Amino acid sequence: MIEFDEQDGAPAPRREFETTIPLINVVFLLLIFFLLAGTLGETSEVGVNLPSGTIDDPAPPQKVTLYVEADGFVWVGEQVMEPSLAGFMLKDFMKDKDKSRVSIKADQAAPAESVLTLMEGLRGAGVQQVTLLTERGS
Amino acid sequence: MADAFDVPVKRRRMMSLTPLIDVVFQLLIFFMLTTSFLQTQALSVVTPAADQKELPEDARVVEIWLMGDGSLRVDGDPVSSAGLADAVRARIGERTDMTVTILAERDSRTQQLVRAVEAAREAGATNVGTARVERLGK
Repeated sequence: MIEFDEQDGAPAPRREFETTIPLINVVFLLLIFFLLAGTLGETSEVGVNLPSGTIDDPAPPQKVTLYVEADGFVWVGEQVMEPSLAGFMLKDFMKDKDKSRVSIKADQAAPAESVLTLMEGLRGAGVQQVTLLTERGS
Repeated sequence: MADAFDVPVKRRRMMSLTPLIDVVFQLLIFFMLTTSFLQTQALSVVTPAADQKELPEDARVVEIWLMGDGSLRVDGDPVSSAGLADAVRARIGERTDMTVTILAERDSRTQQLVRAVEAAREAGATNVGTARVERLGK
């Protein structure tokens, strides 16, 4: 009898407890959404607005990524340089890298000359084909 | 005996959910900040030779000119950016083995270069070359 009284007489603390459960459900759903929908991309320190494009070639994951900034400067590894110097630096940089998986992240406003100069430098370093990264757009 | 077992079970139900919520929130914020939803596309381009004498010079070449003022020309005739693929297709017709060479003037931008490469590919060209030039003749 005493036990019945306790259960019926004290519903208030239990209700307080239960209001947090929908919150946890929603937070778990959000967590699972971000886990599944997002790709853990490596964040780069180079701010680049990729050009928009429509073609998406099947390409394996790229091992080496070079950046061309909007002002035309080129990132080779950790170093920033004029594109005309990149050819010389790339010979050393690409020595122990996979030459078939090189990609270029070029800003859409970067001079095409810088990108082409960098690609010429890559040819000099033994790279036959590069992948220009674009964003899906019109 | 049954009553004696019931007591600890009831106590366990009182366990606080707050640490769990804290951890889940931490995870949620971590995934929210680290995921990137930017979907990049890949565009494969053959690297150009530094020596422009390697450019094919025979008649089976269509040239796309990227002018410094942002306009586009195909073999010297001005075309709109939307009509570029059609203009290239009209030049090469069925002969998709023809080489399309993209000549970038000094002030042309990467976005133009990407658009020209995609237009040439849309037109069916299998050989797409690139080169940079100082100034294109009229």
